[in-house]
Amino acid sequence: MSAADPAAPRKAARAESPLREAWVMFRRNRPAMAGLALLVLIILATLYGALLYGGDPYEIVWAPHEPPGATPEFPLGTDYLGRDIVAGLLTGGGPTLAVGAAAALLTMLIGVTIGALAGYFGGAIDNLLMRFTEFFQVLPALLFAMVLVTLFSPSLTMIAIAIGLVSWPQTARLTRAEFLKIRKLEYVTAARAIGARDGRIMWRVILPNALPPLIVSATLTIGVAILFEAGLSFLGLGDPNTMSWGLMIGANRAYILSAWWPVTFPGLAIFLTVFAVSLVGDGLNDAFNPKLRER
Amino acid sequence: MKFARILGGVAALALLSPFAAAADGGSLVILSTQTPRHLNGAVQSGTATAVPSTQLFASPLRYDAEWNPQPYLAESWAVSEDGLSVTLNLVKNATFHDGKPVTSEDVAFSIMTTKEHHPFKSMFAPVETIETPDAHTAIIRLSKPHPALLLALSPALAPVLPKHVYGDGQDPKSHPANSAPIGSGPFMLESFTPGEATILKKNPNFFREGYPKLDEIIIRIVKDENALLIAMENGEADIFPFMTSSNSIKRMQGVERLTVTDQGYAGIGPINWLAFNTKSEKLSDKRVRQAIAYAIDRTFITKALMRGVAQPQRGPIIESSPFFDASIPAYDVDLDKAKALMAEAGFADGMELSVDYIPGNDEQQKNVAEYLKSQLKKIGIEVSVRPSPDFPTWAGRVSSHDFELTMDVVFNWGDPVIGVHRTYLSTNIVPGVIWSNTQSYANAKVDEILNAAAVEGDPEERKALYAEFQQIVGDELPIYWLNASPYHTAYDSRLGNPPMTIWGPMSPLDEVYWKEPK
Repeated sequence: MSAADPAAPRKAARAESPLREAWVMFRRNRPAMAGLALLVLIILATLYGALLYGGDPYEIVWAPHEPPGATPEFPLGTDYLGRDIVAGLLTGGGPTLAVGAAAALLTMLIGVTIGALAGYFGGAIDNLLMRFTEFFQVLPALLFAMVLVTLFSPSLTMIAIAIGLVSWPQTARLTRAEFLKIRKLEYVTAARAIGARDGRIMWRVILPNALPPLIVSATLTIGVAILFEAGLSFLGLGDPNTMSWGLMIGANRAYILSAWWPVTFPGLAIFLTVFAVSLVGDGLNDAFNPKLRER
Repeated sequence: MKFARILGGVAALALLSPFAAAADGGSLVILSTQTPRHLNGAVQSGTATAVPSTQLFASPLRYDAEWNPQPYLAESWAVSEDGLSVTLNLVKNATFHDGKPVTSEDVAFSIMTTKEHHPFKSMFAPVETIETPDAHTAIIRLSKPHPALLLALSPALAPVLPKHVYGDGQDPKSHPANSAPIGSGPFMLESFTPGEATILKKNPNFFREGYPKLDEIIIRIVKDENALLIAMENGEADIFPFMTSSNSIKRMQGVERLTVTDQGYAGIGPINWLAFNTKSEKLSDKRVRQAIAYAIDRTFITKALMRGVAQPQRGPIIESSPFFDASIPAYDVDLDKAKALMAEAGFADGMELSVDYIPGNDEQQKNVAEYLKSQLKKIGIEVSVRPSPDFPTWAGRVSSHDFELTMDVVFNWGDPVIGVHRTYLSTNIVPGVIWSNTQSYANAKVDEILNAAAVEGDPEERKALYAEFQQIVGDELPIYWLNASPYHTAYDSRLGNPPMTIWGPMSPLDEVYWKEPK
């Protein structure tokens, strides 16, 4: 982080670095640790599971709508085309998580840039950027994302971009608030006094200190983005060429009354992932927030 | 709400009906997911208009379930020896709903109006003039023999309009009478509320003695198919035609009070197919198209994907038509042969293709496209599914020939001249027009055969010409036909004479009655 930066506030001892401190706090938080373990498990499964399991998720392997347990070969049954649901789950997790992560990254990129500029400079720039942000904030997010995906092709990249474009205003407002608060602190004035330029002050001095709430917000954005992708796919706007959990739910939902399993398992996978991400986000929040440390 | 009032009306009728004779009277509630633009079938195709239009307007002929023409407004008819004129002898007692008699003038006016304004140009294209020697005789003069003419005189295609209403010079496509039509059919319009219901009541002066049997027909329009299924289940509605999803069909089959059938759609002849853009470099070689055909398993599509509700379709003419040639190559699955054909065509290393589909009917279109992705991989073809957000997007891509493979569903409309020729004639490669020859398929021999079949008066000769045509396109495969769209009708088993003719619900329901009161 900013330990080497002379302008950044230095803590007295190395052991007391804020990250380390936060990790100690985080480790004491049992639900958060459980969430982290679950998340790591899910990520490992989506990274290596498909390789180990070996099935092609698009291949029609058996009769459609075979229930789970009907054959040991396909433990979770088959979907409306007769494709293996386990293969779909393992392959579909990657794109789902990737969309979530990419969308969260995009959200952070746009949100932090706009929020930082608005919060640091204030005045007319702040006014202009915040009106711009409000314009995006009042747009109904899912509808706007649907319009974007409909206008351009429903590819996974487009879906990630659409989610990123509709969810950055929150991050921008949060960043702006942090910047407004921090820019008045003494160490910022000190940095300015030794002649640091605006850019340096913003990115090297203020941002590292504004980071903790932003990390929490980014984590939660991943969860929201995964749900968003599922929502778009559910409405039939998913990318049919890339297996994802949302796509599995969207494509199978028409048959939910006669075949519950092709919808339920990817639904459970999404639930568990978002749940794990939320637990981690919550844990990070507690760990970074000094006021909660006494708990 | 209006809807509740309509239901209330039905309930009131149901209470009254025990006092009526068992065979006559009563009301019939038909369900529909589509709102018709208006009710005049002379200038508008489609099932949504045809169902009410065929109740309101009578036509020169009607058809039974075996493709035989039956007398309707014409009590008899005669085709001249040279096939160049058709004489219709009209019934004498037919009147329009406003009391004015139906004359040969009206028939002549209607056919000429339909010729000019109906989207199916080939129906009446050879009609030159219609002579009316007396009030009840109309002689149709043709520029060339036109065997499809008798079928085109069906209720769904040739409603007889009142000349004294439509002859006022206004454009018949936007005529105010289209929303409040006066016809000579078995039922008269009570009210037409777009998006809600069309209510028809018995025409007491109908020219067929003793008909119609029912007092009232209510066509209820609800977009949500689920709501319609519930209405059928709890007895609020009596007939649900044009169902295609296996979910709906199976659900209706589970209701004891109902009968579910796929009869009554031979006339429409809806074919679900995979079309090739023969102008694409990858698909211009017929061996590639044949390879794809050999890789596709029709049985899997109809039995597994459509859960057994659909029938396989091997050729361009619907299998229930007398013109279908059962000896057309079937391309039963043979992956080795498919791979060999790919190699012969120079694509031993495979290729990439995209497939489009019509959005909205997933089971018939999208699921099959996804099946192709999985199946064609086995012969080295990497398929990417290209979704369209809505129908106009899909139609725009396909009609401008911007596609490689596309799923499509096209209707035969009774006679091949009306619904089949348009897909294969090289003269009908018209960019910008959907359901023209969007495959850009051109074969001079096919053009010649089809043009000969269009004017061939002898049914056996015609059948032979169509057999030859089917053998050629069955070999060259501008299209690979998959299945007949599984249109099904669910109806209350207490109904007598349910609509099972070739035009099904798109024909007069004057003979429908309740075997026992509802």
